[in-house]
Amino acid sequence: MPPQTPSLSNIYTDAINSLTQEVLKEQPRDIIQYCANYFNKQLEIERTRSLYQSTISTAAMASSTFPGRMGTNANPFGSGLDSGSNIGITKVAEEDENDTITSPTTPSFGFKGNSTFGDFGGDGAGGPPSSWKAPSGDGFPAHYGMGRRTSVSAESLNPTASLNENWSPPFHQKTEDQLARLKRSISTNFLFSHLDDEQSNQVLGALVEKPIPAKGIKVITQGDQGDFFYVVEKGIFEVFKNNSGVLQPGADGLGMKVATIESGGSFGELALMYGAPRAATVVSTEASSTLWALDRITFRRILMDSTFQRRRLYESFLEEVPLLFTLDKYERSKVADALDTQKYPAGTTMIKEGDAGEAFYLLESGECEAYKAGKEEPVMYYKKGDYFGELALLNDAPRAASVISKTEVKVATLGKDGFQRLLGPVESIMRRTKYETGVEDIDPLTK
Amino acid sequence: MHKATALLHHHSSSKEVSLEVIEQEKHFVAQFADGSHTQLPVDRLKEDPQNKQLGGSSRGLNVTDFDLLKTLGTGTFARVWLVRLKNPAEEDRDKFFALKVLRKVDVIKLKQVDHVNHERSVLADVAGYPFITTLITSFSDHDSLYMLLDYCPGGEVFTYLRKAKRFDETAARFYAAEIVVILEFLHEREGVAYRDLKPENLLLDADGHIKLVDFGFAKKIGNRETYTLCGTPEYLAPEVIQSKGHTTAVDWWALGILIYEFLTGYPPFWNQNPIEIYKQIVSKPVHFPDSPSISPEAKDIIRQFCTVNRSHRLGNMAGRAESVKAHPFFHGVNWDDVYYRKHRGPIIPPLRHKGDATCFDDYPDDKAHRDAYTHDLQRKWDNHFKDF
Repeated sequence: MPPQTPSLSNIYTDAINSLTQEVLKEQPRDIIQYCANYFNKQLEIERTRSLYQSTISTAAMASSTFPGRMGTNANPFGSGLDSGSNIGITKVAEEDENDTITSPTTPSFGFKGNSTFGDFGGDGAGGPPSSWKAPSGDGFPAHYGMGRRTSVSAESLNPTASLNENWSPPFHQKTEDQLARLKRSISTNFLFSHLDDEQSNQVLGALVEKPIPAKGIKVITQGDQGDFFYVVEKGIFEVFKNNSGVLQPGADGLGMKVATIESGGSFGELALMYGAPRAATVVSTEASSTLWALDRITFRRILMDSTFQRRRLYESFLEEVPLLFTLDKYERSKVADALDTQKYPAGTTMIKEGDAGEAFYLLESGECEAYKAGKEEPVMYYKKGDYFGELALLNDAPRAASVISKTEVKVATLGKDGFQRLLGPVESIMRRTKYETGVEDIDPLTK
Repeated sequence: MHKATALLHHHSSSKEVSLEVIEQEKHFVAQFADGSHTQLPVDRLKEDPQNKQLGGSSRGLNVTDFDLLKTLGTGTFARVWLVRLKNPAEEDRDKFFALKVLRKVDVIKLKQVDHVNHERSVLADVAGYPFITTLITSFSDHDSLYMLLDYCPGGEVFTYLRKAKRFDETAARFYAAEIVVILEFLHEREGVAYRDLKPENLLLDADGHIKLVDFGFAKKIGNRETYTLCGTPEYLAPEVIQSKGHTTAVDWWALGILIYEFLTGYPPFWNQNPIEIYKQIVSKPVHFPDSPSISPEAKDIIRQFCTVNRSHRLGNMAGRAESVKAHPFFHGVNWDDVYYRKHRGPIIPPLRHKGDATCFDDYPDDKAHRDAYTHDLQRKWDNHFKDF
């Protein structure tokens, strides 16, 4: 059953009684100052004592369904997104985010939430939990919260291809200038910096224009669940944080202004990961500003679908390579996972005749040709789905020919060390089953 | 006995179940109160006739068949109770369980329907494995889903860690070794990614051994990758943050974070702002403090687990868990002894009786306001909960 914690009024009465006693005893001249000092000291003692006895979960501080780090979030752009409306007339421009799209979550059986440290088997320390910060100077990071950590989760998504559905990302036309600016804005962001060209183009295409017609519009509202990420195209936006973690009614409800975002800036990126309460309120300061918006589901689907397709593509490529026939499914998926994608312009010598073989290549797109010294004409032609150089995985024999890209090509490649790291010594793999054609007979450039 | 277990595998939404069946089910349930202490080797766990009976859907049990004694933990849509059979037979008086209660409406609202079903099915598959909380049976009523689990009385490793501030390497190694064995089992035998490793999800049993709890994010993925972002911010692997598709390798990353936290008292990547945590995770190498001093072996295993490129990550390369066991940090560990629990743990929970729950923290009561599970919701969703 729940613990018997003293009621607030008891704590209060006790505190006031002891203060009264102290005041009577000390007879201070400046009563107010004395009381202030007294309580500060009491606070310190109480907090120190509860240091190892109690902890508070961040959950207790959040008012939303998603007990995140609200209220302790120093960065106004850190938390989620959006919406809500306070100013009636400007409502047009405010987002109507649909709460049901998104799902912050705190899972389940986690013994999460507000907690008090029990003694090791003692009866548990009574008293209300206090906001416990690790002592600095003991190597603990400043402001490190020692409470239980809440799990997070996005809505579950399954790759379009696996569902036999047809989905293609939304596409909104943009000018060259707009694209260049957008690219600059997001290229250094850690959620975008690793995207390949195709993913990047899809994401850029999916950003949708959001005109903000008036001054004073709340684009995102602190404490609301966030589903969108924004890039500022035009205008200046101000960022406010209310220490309560949620936008409050009234004139001061916005809280403190903590930042200004101008053209090229962005905010709300956490919403691209999962739905979490917005850490700040962002307000327009000019008439006719413009934002670009991207929602989490679209973003994640773009990344998921392209990753999924590429993985399946690699796996099917690998199934065709006789040298890898002895691999089981797990091993093949490991190799597919480790393949590195690279692009080369036309005319690149990817393999040089006579060099020691280091890596193996799958041709994802484009065309290549193989040449042998002393012959004008190419000896081999490679197209999408073909592979070359796989003997490098087995031995250090010099390359039997040069391979040169005929067009721009995209290849998936894996080196010998990578192969061995994932699968162990090649010899043992080859020993498992006799390699049908006999490894020695294979010319790397024929198939 | 046999009759009872046969019945347990059949779910029936109709509550017209005879008292006799319910009594049989109670009897069945009572024998699993103390969890699994099997001495069977891991490849023979599934042969154990007892284990085969676990994890089915109950036919007649109901939440009213239990006394709800104390909350052991809470989440946004779940609450775990210490329970005992109501009006227990004399010999069952001392038999306690953990009952996880999930409210359907919250599960739906938070888009966790898939996760809840994965949780139930993974727990049913692994029931009987000694280091994982045992799903005895499940049932449901109009509003809620219930999972009856064995009660692990020692409380969370989290509580002990925060209280002790940090563990020495011997203690950290003991827990890490048990987790290696668990991950080997989950990944290599079951094809399951756990996805929420952290001290909060590790309980201690009466002998100080680990039980892994909260399978809310566990999923059977085999050799494939999966895409739904989930986990705990400080413990998320880089590929999860960057939506690259993730595999069982995320658990090895998390084990690196966990060992770091065991040894220092805090995780390697931390900031008040989650976005800043994520930036660090994808770009910064793990940094070690000067104090406490951490052995080179421990630093190395942490760095090898916390390798951004998962094709270079310890545990995810050739040899899988075997290569983890061979790491110098585990030098001298007898892995058979770990699995068979030959040695007691470094912390023995001070328990005075079987239903002692003082190792668990106290949790506030439920919020008064609850959304209703309406007829519309029921029509749309109840079919998704049919496995319970």
